[in-house]
Amino acid sequence: MARLNDAAQWIILMGFLVSFAFFFLALVINQSTVVGQTTAESVIEFPKNDIQDVRQVILQTKDYPNTSLVRVRDDITNLSITRKSAVVNFTSVNIDNETHILIHYNNGVTEYNENWSAL
Amino acid sequence: MKNDGGQLYTIEGFAAALIMLMTAYLVVNATSVYTAGDTHITDMQLEALGSDALTMMGTNESRLTMSPLESIIENPGTYPDATFRTMFLSLVNNGTGVSMDANAFNESSTTMKYIHFTANYTCWDMNTNTANPNNPISYSRNLTGGEHTVRATKWVIIEKGAVPFCGTTNQPRAVLVEVLLWRD
Repeated sequence: MARLNDAAQWIILMGFLVSFAFFFLALVINQSTVVGQTTAESVIEFPKNDIQDVRQVILQTKDYPNTSLVRVRDDITNLSITRKSAVVNFTSVNIDNETHILIHYNNGVTEYNENWSAL
Repeated sequence: MKNDGGQLYTIEGFAAALIMLMTAYLVVNATSVYTAGDTHITDMQLEALGSDALTMMGTNESRLTMSPLESIIENPGTYPDATFRTMFLSLVNNGTGVSMDANAFNESSTTMKYIHFTANYTCWDMNTNTANPNNPISYSRNLTGGEHTVRATKWVIIEKGAVPFCGTTNQPRAVLVEVLLWRD
């Protein structure tokens, strides 16, 4: 009796193995687009511009007399919470002729604290 | 004589079943995976561009002069403010091959294919103790609601304290300039 010829089966089986390899490579490429999306999302989520901007406007007030400072601080604090849902707080103290400005920023995701000082 | 043909066919059957399962998985999953793609990347770039433009407009050239943004808010021209529009549009649309006419605003989309904006600022109303966001500055096209916009903001200190609509004091005031911008 002639032996069953199974060469075709082996060829097809190897074909399957190769196609699985291709499949997993495609999966990697598929995931790579999602990586770009999550990166962009986390960049958008991080409030770099907000912090830089609020920091800049706070440092602009360093030479203000107390009456002006109270007014501007009120504006910045109130507008931050209503328009940007960020808690912003800053106090300015003068120790040994050195001005210290303590800046606090928190938008629920990112918190930033700074002790800025200058002579 | 023993024959291993049965084993081979069983493995083949398993492989075929796996392929069908994987195909079904891919087909069901494909629509949900491919939707967002890289849309956020362009949002990110547009937001950075708008913030940079506002930062440039909020910077004064010397200690003695006001920044363009401060001067526009302190001395508002007729709405929509032409100075703001020209300056902002030329900053965000600065590129090769863009023929821009900032004065021909609100035209049909066939003549203007670049970044558009609407800008306003929010001040804190001391009389009612609420934020007043209804202080329009300028726009390049009306918002219809279908645009995919991003928001860029900039703090500006108004030195003379004369903010229209929000109670005038002799003290400096801080206002928040908010710009929505979108590609068209």
